Amino acid sequence: MKFTLHIWRQENARAKGHFETYEIDNISADCSFLEMLDQLNEKLINDKIAHPVCFDNDCREGICGMCGLYINGRPHGNDDGVTTCQLHMRHFHDGDEIWVEPWRAKAFPIIKDLVVDRTAFDKIIQAGGYISATTGGVPDANNILIPKHKADQSMDAAACIGCGACVAACKNASAMLFVGAKVSHLALLPQGKPEAADRVKKMVCKMDELGFGGCTNTYACEAECPKQIKRQNIARLNRCWIAQAFGRDRRED
Amino acid sequence: MNLPKIHSITKKLFVALVGGFLLLFLLFHMTANLFILRHDDGQWYSDFCHFMGTNWVVKIFEIGLLGFIALHILLTIWLAVTNRLARPVRYHQPSRSKTHPGSKLMIWTGILIFVCLGLHFYDFYMVKVGVVKGEYMVSVENIGKAMQEQPNAMFDEEVIGFLDKIQKSGQLSMGSDMIHHLTYEDKETLKRLLPGSDPEPDFYYMTREKFSHLHIVIGYLIFFVIIFFHLMHAFPSAFQTLGLNNYKYNPIIEALGKIYTWIIVLGFAAVPILVYLGL
Ligand code: HEM
Ligand code: SF4
Ligand code: FES
Repeated sequence: MKFTLHIWRQENARAKGHFETYEIDNISADCSFLEMLDQLNEKLINDKIAHPVCFDNDCREGICGMCGLYINGRPHGNDDGVTTCQLHMRHFHDGDEIWVEPWRAKAFPIIKDLVVDRTAFDKIIQAGGYISATTGGVPDANNILIPKHKADQSMDAAACIGCGACVAACKNASAMLFVGAKVSHLALLPQGKPEAADRVKKMVCKMDELGFGGCTNTYACEAECPKQIKRQNIARLNRCWIAQAFGRDRRED
Repeated sequence: MNLPKIHSITKKLFVALVGGFLLLFLLFHMTANLFILRHDDGQWYSDFCHFMGTNWVVKIFEIGLLGFIALHILLTIWLAVTNRLARPVRYHQPSRSKTHPGSKLMIWTGILIFVCLGLHFYDFYMVKVGVVKGEYMVSVENIGKAMQEQPNAMFDEEVIGFLDKIQKSGQLSMGSDMIHHLTYEDKETLKRLLPGSDPEPDFYYMTREKFSHLHIVIGYLIFFVIIFFHLMHAFPSAFQTLGLNNYKYNPIIEALGKIYTWIIVLGFAAVPILVYLGL
């Protein structure tokens, strides 16, 4: 297959970026988007055309969340429920023009070309995405009973890989789907209950502080999430927020 | 400048609570508007307006409503600005992600509603408060009472002349106890000559008169197309914001939102269409 690529090139966070256009040919329909970019980079290096295009990636099997690209107006491109590394060129037509942009958000500054700094997500997790558990021997599995549906929902929320596609898709660059997932997978389990109120407060405050936008219930995040995290997690986040706002001050317990 | 720190979710909660109140109010307003469709010389509608204009509970409600609308607008604009700032560099390609219908237009449909509300206020609320001149009416009973209070008026040339003029002009229709189509000057004269007669704005005929003009009917219908898009998203969105949302209820809430929106829009739109067609 043959494509015309318009790729965002930017030397560093402060430099002014621009689109660069490259033609590429002989791409197999079964190759992934990142493999296609690999072939482009090979060509750029061998033919001494330009520095290779920088893009983030790690596992290349859809589980690490590193590889976010904004392709033709959709985070992770034109397929549902996949990351960019799992997007295959068969989802494009021969001769297509493809626009590749980095995630755009105040909280995700560009490092180089298509690579953005998603440390903001780590900071939100550090603010409250943990539980306090005593270490020691392995507890008996039946000590804490958890209803199956709760375990399932918690597991679904825990599937979030922190890729940032929700922020990239959202017209407000809001991180509510991510925070909703991170609050939910703990709030749904008994182990997460003791810190539930503090957790939601700290994580939401951090999210606001880092410059993410607010949720307007547009649900572009849900449509683009490679792990198909549901909007119900945002509703749960709202519920937890209301509960902590009306709950009594934990210092008085 | 040090703006008070209100968290994004809290702001949104207030938008949803106030918005929910506005949704209920619209239902109430629409029901009242349907009274205009009755060919009863405005009896039901005027009674309703009279109640709304004089009851003190309604007065408190009215101030609350104005405050709520202001709060809704202030918070949503504040949110829209901070949300816009969260993405200083925009994408080159327009977003092709699936979104909830109407959700990306909220601030624009909202601002357009605000502008139309301004016109609406000019036409009706300002007449009610007395800042703008409209059309007035007075009840025969009230004139009788006022005459009893000032027996001398019966012999006053000016009063007799004025009442004669009204009677001749056919403004007192048969079987009705109201005199309609009084001008602002008529109203002032009445107030001067018979202070107790208490003329009121005649919203029934004012509305019917307005809806006899095609451009007003069309403008009004466009207004409700805009409201349609605001409400289509607003109703289910408020539930999501308040956390009243789960797998089981979502389809029901979505369906109720569509039913509610259609009822509101068709209910409001029926009035200008039927009045214009003379039905
Ligand atoms: C006819 C009167 C109105 C009604 C019944 C109404 C109702 C609502 C409701 C129920 C919501 C959903 C809240 C949520 O998403 O949780 C909403 C959102 C919104 N309204 Fe209104 N509204 C009205 C007028 C206005 C006006 C005059 C504006 C002017 C700016 C406005 C701007 C907005 C915006 C921007 C949102 C989205 C807020 C967000 O998602 O952050 N609305 N409205
Ligand atoms: S919620 Fe989905 S889109 Fe957002 S970071 Fe997690 S996996 Fe990525
Ligand atoms: S590279 Fe790990 S998810 Fe794509």
